Amino acid sequence: MLGYLIRRIALAAFVVLVVTLLVAWAVRLSGDPAVMLAQGSTVTEKDLANIREALGLNRPFYVQYLSFLGGIVTGHMGRSFMGGTSVALLIGHALPLTLELAFVSLAMSLVFSIPLGVHAAVHRGRGADQLIRVVSLIGLSFPNFWLALMLVLVFAIELGWLPPSGAAGGSGLVLPAATLAIILTATNVRLVRSAMLDTLGAQYVMVARSKGLRENVVLYKHALRNGAIPLITFIGLQFGGLIGGVVVVERVFNWPGMGNLAFDAVSTRDYPVLQASVTILAVMIVAVNLIVDLTYAALDPRISVAA
Amino acid sequence: MPKPRTVPRLAAAAALALGIGAGAANPAHAGGTLTLAQVRDPGSWDPIATFLIAWGELATNVFDGLTQRGPDLKLKPGLAESWDVAEDGKRIRFHLRHNVTFQNGEPFDAEAVKFTFTRLLGPEGAKGPQQSNYTAISSVEVIDPYTVDLILKEPDPVLLTKLAGYGGVIVPPKYVQQVGSEEFAKHPIGTGPFKVTDYQPKVSVTMQPFAGGWAGSPKLDQVVYRFIVEPDTQVAELQAGRIDIAADVPISALAVIKKDPKLRIDSVTGPTVTELRFNITKGAAANEDARRAIVMAVDRDAIIKSILQGEAKPVASYQGELSLGYDANLKPLPFDLAGARALLKKAGVAPGAPVEIDFPGNNATFREVAQAVAGYLTAAGLQPSVKPFEQNVYTNDIIPNGKTGELYQFGWGGWTFDYDNTAYLLYHSGEHWNPYVKDKQLDAMLEHQRTDINPPERKAELQAIAKYIADHVLDMPLYNQNTIYGVNRRVQNFVPPPDNRFRLTDVTVQ
Amino acid sequence: MRPWLRRLRGTEFVAGLVLTALMVIPVLLSDLIFPGRGEAMDLAARLSPPLQTLAHPLGTDPIGRDVLARVIIGGQVSLTVGVLSVLGAVIVGTFAGLLAGYYRGVWDMVLMRIADVQLALPFILIALTFAAILGADMWKLILFMAIAQWVQYARVMRGTVLSLREREYVQSARAYGLRDYGILLRHVLPNAIGPVIVLVTLNVANNILLESSLTFLGLGIDPLTPSWGGMLADGRGYLQSAWWVGVFPGLAITLTVLGLNLLGDWLRDVLDPTSQVRG
Repeated sequence: MLGYLIRRIALAAFVVLVVTLLVAWAVRLSGDPAVMLAQGSTVTEKDLANIREALGLNRPFYVQYLSFLGGIVTGHMGRSFMGGTSVALLIGHALPLTLELAFVSLAMSLVFSIPLGVHAAVHRGRGADQLIRVVSLIGLSFPNFWLALMLVLVFAIELGWLPPSGAAGGSGLVLPAATLAIILTATNVRLVRSAMLDTLGAQYVMVARSKGLRENVVLYKHALRNGAIPLITFIGLQFGGLIGGVVVVERVFNWPGMGNLAFDAVSTRDYPVLQASVTILAVMIVAVNLIVDLTYAALDPRISVAA
Repeated sequence: MPKPRTVPRLAAAAALALGIGAGAANPAHAGGTLTLAQVRDPGSWDPIATFLIAWGELATNVFDGLTQRGPDLKLKPGLAESWDVAEDGKRIRFHLRHNVTFQNGEPFDAEAVKFTFTRLLGPEGAKGPQQSNYTAISSVEVIDPYTVDLILKEPDPVLLTKLAGYGGVIVPPKYVQQVGSEEFAKHPIGTGPFKVTDYQPKVSVTMQPFAGGWAGSPKLDQVVYRFIVEPDTQVAELQAGRIDIAADVPISALAVIKKDPKLRIDSVTGPTVTELRFNITKGAAANEDARRAIVMAVDRDAIIKSILQGEAKPVASYQGELSLGYDANLKPLPFDLAGARALLKKAGVAPGAPVEIDFPGNNATFREVAQAVAGYLTAAGLQPSVKPFEQNVYTNDIIPNGKTGELYQFGWGGWTFDYDNTAYLLYHSGEHWNPYVKDKQLDAMLEHQRTDINPPERKAELQAIAKYIADHVLDMPLYNQNTIYGVNRRVQNFVPPPDNRFRLTDVTVQ
Repeated sequence: MRPWLRRLRGTEFVAGLVLTALMVIPVLLSDLIFPGRGEAMDLAARLSPPLQTLAHPLGTDPIGRDVLARVIIGGQVSLTVGVLSVLGAVIVGTFAGLLAGYYRGVWDMVLMRIADVQLALPFILIALTFAAILGADMWKLILFMAIAQWVQYARVMRGTVLSLREREYVQSARAYGLRDYGILLRHVLPNAIGPVIVLVTLNVANNILLESSLTFLGLGIDPLTPSWGGMLADGRGYLQSAWWVGVFPGLAITLTVLGLNLLGDWLRDVLDPTSQVRG
């Protein structure tokens, strides 16, 4: 097990390293940040050369890459090209907000998908099951930005209940989290349903039923709990995808999280911010995947052999 | 920054999600707080370190230059009460305003001016992009505490304008030396009417009035700029009553704002002229007659009237009415579809000849304009295509490296309001923004006017340049678009600035 | 009646099929229905509301083009992007997955590491960066989505091959001296096709959404060529003043994607062995 653990961690580190290299390389293909910065009307080639020098862009690629890697390791991730704000500071502001958004949307989605999924599984094949599956799929059939805009239109502009954007005050979280939650619910209802189907036929559920326990106790305490392990691992995987995929939703809601930070960094060619934020996102996704795999391995010894 | 407290927010979100909570009320505005939306965070406040338009828009509140431009964009006294330009144009003497202090109590005097320009022109300034704007200055001589001379290497006709903003604004010597440039970039101190009291990167900046300001204390209690990138999100925030002024309102939102009884539209002629420039080395656009025909085929007035809803004026050159070099007698080519067809035939352009129109894809208004232009070109028998580019690739690569299609969108806001600035950079051979035009005669005209310090003569020269460019149809002039603000009606005494630089001293909110 | 046949009567299948057909058939016939391709522009009639004239039953867009014609024609791009990108991903992914699963060793190692790296990349950001570099037209969008998704198919294929290669019939086929590609083609591929079909249906749906998201973020296809994503981008600013510009293409996306998702869901149910046991 220890050997497996070490191998998996080494592999994860390798993946992150490749990601950093890819990102550092790709971003440098995409244009010159000096021109971006010099958006004033009187720019000359000499200005551009000055800016490149000040930003360290005239150094060879491998030097820039190594200094970026060093920064990731030491935590001194450099300064944003856009005004010199510390990258660590920017990420320190943005990361908790993205995590908050991700957790809350996941929680909101589970609040709906667990009872719906359980209900669907119990009534498998019948009207309720079909209805739940069809309706929850609708959430997955909107472009995410479109759903976000519609929610803004209804709840922020027409009804005026919630702020249309921003993270100030708790209410700003509701609409972006709801957008993501609606999309997640379509998948989660299915996960809960199939996890429940796996356990509903199991012996301990029969036993619990035969003991005359109330149906809800049987369903939630016995069946769901035993089906929860694959569920949790799937949700873990989903969380990784969620973190990477919040870009559009953060954009529409002007949520100052990692997605917005990275998106801005793409459009302003802010290499230090983009490299650092993609790396942080990648580390999180890899870490979650690793934890999921390790959980699996711990539960099912055959996996460690197969992998 | 106080950390967002997660637990109550989670609870609030969960409660609302379950439909238990009451509707969250919009946070009420305090007595005199004005909230504005700003697209980008300037990041650094140091005047010598930036070129960002966002900086110019925000820092107007914090810093002053020796000269100043009012909302009408005319030059007027700033920290200097008056100035004299020497005969040869190589020395400008400034008589400074008395009893001015910086926001930290430091006095403003000739030494501060000297420090500012020494810093700008020295090694500190060399790191930033501003220095080269001011290289005409060779030295600063302090005559007495309230008189200072700028000694110039050569006359610079737009220097006085450049002193009103960016690298020319005056910084406090003691403070900058004491805290260092890095700290200064985060906590700016100037002589301006507002003082930065809270700055949250990428979220907002809060300013409070500087009671000791030389231009009198502003009436507002507080100004908050929120950074909101998407224009449609700004409009939504405006409608929700959470911001008072939205800059850069998209044309598509005009109807919505006009309909809302709480809101109004304030618009003013802007500094930006939008044109479709020709790639005069490519396809049909290589032929002058064909270019003329392409311009004539497009009903630019109809585009202004319908798509831009009248919030723009037709132009004949890359300058608005306020620019030095504007010529009311230079008229745009008239719309004439039949004439265009005939001219295309004469130029030997085959029907169905391709014309590619390039533009930056994030510009929603131009997305419509480009499609309308394409519609007209189809009617003239050409085969147009429209190609959106990512903004940065467009301005960094496609344009300067000459990779555009036959037509490419180019918006130009000359902040100096002098056609020299525009024309030289856009038409002189070898300039960054001029990938295609190489015309010796035009080069000579552009170079000559730069040496002319007699304004009326220079104006005539600039007008001749504009006419030359129009005669050779180097671009399809489109329009000078208004700067449009969505404003909450509770905002009083707001004079909409053409350039997004708000002057908020007299503004009040109800 | 065989169980899978009985399932044809399920709500998901019927609703999915009806919706998909409703959206896809007009799009396939769109060049016949709208020979003008909705290109005719009329600035004077811009943003006219639906049901005002017979010529524009769904109203007109900001430059006065017919919304109905553009929605139907626009499906061509969206469906082409959706289908071709998935097709490309399936071909590459299946091939790579078969090789990796069957031969293991270096092939497998390389494939799995590429998969790991791709999974760790935040897709939209990478899409933006690359679309910025390459510029964006329909074919590049297709290529890009295919590159982003082939790994999914490779993983599914590999998994199936791994579980099959030690099975008796594969072993015996090998013992009989059948060539590798024969074994892969005749025994392994048919067994793996079920999960791949499910993934295909869901990914076509997903890529239709993705096209619209990328266009929304300012990239994408020539706006003269109508596409659902592009029309949504055009209509975004008019949601409150001229809802029909954006709502109809949005509806077209949602109905098509919902139809495909329902079919995919139904297929998953039918093809998933664990659900068949209890069916």
